Amino acid sequence: MKPAAFDYARAATIPEALAALRDGARPLAGGQSLGPMLNLRLARPGKLVDIKRAEGMRAVALSATSARLGAALTHAEIEDGRIEDVTRGLLPHVARGIAYRAVRNRGTLGGSLCHADPAADWVTTMAGLGATMIARGPAGERAIAAEAFMLGAFTHALAEDEMLAAVEIPRLSPAARWGYAKINRKTGEFAMAIGMAVLDGPLARVVAGAVEGPPALLPRAAAALLAGETPDLDAELAERLPHLPPPERKLRAVALRRALAMLSEAR
Amino acid sequence: MLPVTLTVNGERQQLLAEPRTHLADLLREKLNLTGTHLGCEQGVCGACTVLIDGVPQRSCISYAVDCDGAEITTIEGFDTDPTMAKLREEFSAHHALQCGFCTPGMLVTARDIVLRLGEVPEARVREELSGNICRCTGYVGIVGAVCATARGCAPRDSAAPIAATALAAAAVAAPVETAAPRAAQPLTGGTSLTETIAIAAPPDQVWDAMGDLPALAACLPGAEITEVDGEAIKGRMRVALGPIKVAFAGTGTVSLDAATRSGVLRGAGRDGGTGSSAEGELRFALTPSATGTDVAITLQWRLTGALAQFGRSGLVADLVRRLAAQFAANLQARLAGQAPPAAPAALNLFQLLWAALKARFGR
Repeated sequence: MKPAAFDYARAATIPEALAALRDGARPLAGGQSLGPMLNLRLARPGKLVDIKRAEGMRAVALSATSARLGAALTHAEIEDGRIEDVTRGLLPHVARGIAYRAVRNRGTLGGSLCHADPAADWVTTMAGLGATMIARGPAGERAIAAEAFMLGAFTHALAEDEMLAAVEIPRLSPAARWGYAKINRKTGEFAMAIGMAVLDGPLARVVAGAVEGPPALLPRAAAALLAGETPDLDAELAERLPHLPPPERKLRAVALRRALAMLSEAR
Repeated sequence: MLPVTLTVNGERQQLLAEPRTHLADLLREKLNLTGTHLGCEQGVCGACTVLIDGVPQRSCISYAVDCDGAEITTIEGFDTDPTMAKLREEFSAHHALQCGFCTPGMLVTARDIVLRLGEVPEARVREELSGNICRCTGYVGIVGAVCATARGCAPRDSAAPIAATALAAAAVAAPVETAAPRAAQPLTGGTSLTETIAIAAPPDQVWDAMGDLPALAACLPGAEITEVDGEAIKGRMRVALGPIKVAFAGTGTVSLDAATRSGVLRGAGRDGGTGSSAEGELRFALTPSATGTDVAITLQWRLTGALAQFGRSGLVADLVRRLAAQFAANLQARLAGQAPPAAPAALNLFQLLWAALKARFGR
């Protein structure tokens, strides 16, 4: 239960962190997912570079259309509303459901996204919001659409010498409605299924999460929502998630129905 | 060893720590603060919860060097804390502990609930306590003690908002192409999957090309056959699953049946690093089609050991699915005499293999 030996360095700036990554170090943010893997000796990196204290990694920038959140902001800071919420309560709601308070106090938004556990909350949330990942690498900044960020279980679109610096989240209008439902057996556990829906004027997004791979956007369900019709979730899930056995698909359909039911709740 | 400066229970401490030493071990072993308990050492049980810079955190998955400069409060540091005094009384009155193992972490979490949330419904207290596991009490006494302590308390104002600057222009990401969903694949028990690829060449030609076993194995990202002796093979399979990197070294057999134009590769190996074992089987069968040849590939695998315990089966299935798709693409490219398609970043090892492939076939 003790990690294999590794070296550790703290990066004061993003360029310093990138230099360490080029030298083969792996990034460490809150370490709330990496820590257990290190302790179990499943992960044995030679060197870790702490990127959460690098300048700009906790910055917040706002515009009329979006918010840019530094990747090292913690789940608890989002839960407590310490960052102006541009999502009509969605982000704090999601944050409160992540693991436990002691984990949320250290775990970071960007760390969770880069860990890319299919059952984690932020990968699904960001895909559902149509957010944009801001990567930093040797060539500068690169924007990646959230739904193209996660490639598979524990696998994301960043190169070995890139890191996630921020996430840009589109601002929802005052009329926006959302639903986010997570099924798990115990509070704070990784989700068995996640359903999410956002309806904001002409924009609708429906996404099934915790599907053992990248979250699955359901464009037909979204179109049905806009047309005021009842989406045929089972058919679209069968098409999008052929690898899941039917009972597993059913669970995602239940999560989605709960999320859709939340759309009519007043906030 | 790296220098670490911490303020522990109000006292400044200058220590040396290996980067891999977690905070709980430093507190217990170097400072003899054994009130911090270690249960699971993977962030689940909550026994090691301490205050780091005023907020509860897990000391088993926070490394000491990563806490350099922080203020730490352990269960030994609350002697004069009025909220903790009240909690101690109520824990005693409600019989909120039996063996006491979870109690230090339970109290640190309970104090945070009382101060941060004030008086809240019992259901919320239970939700907030869900990250601290107690195997004796059944929680009734603990929840009762926390509710009694919080009665009449107002929630503390949350810390100051994080200042925001103005964002000049929104970032523009390349539009995402909606990938066509893949055809349904029969999955028996979640441990096997089948891909069929169409090759524009007659079966005889495809069969000949597949006879080169090392080259065939090289189409599977991470796989390498190092020795072929009749039906016996020796090889390695390297897989990266996020930060987990495993290398299974082992032996196997191969049997090819020219009459039915089918073959089976079987292998079993062990990864010394994680103490995990894997068994796998790759079956392929060629059938003529209108455009040439259909190659049906079935991958089957079984994992045991730490990796299997950690990985939820679905995650491994997702990895194998990507491996199979990459294998099909590489095989197709090889049979067509083309360079393999660009490697997705998904398979980190692919760059390595691509170099190996180029060395083998690029001449």
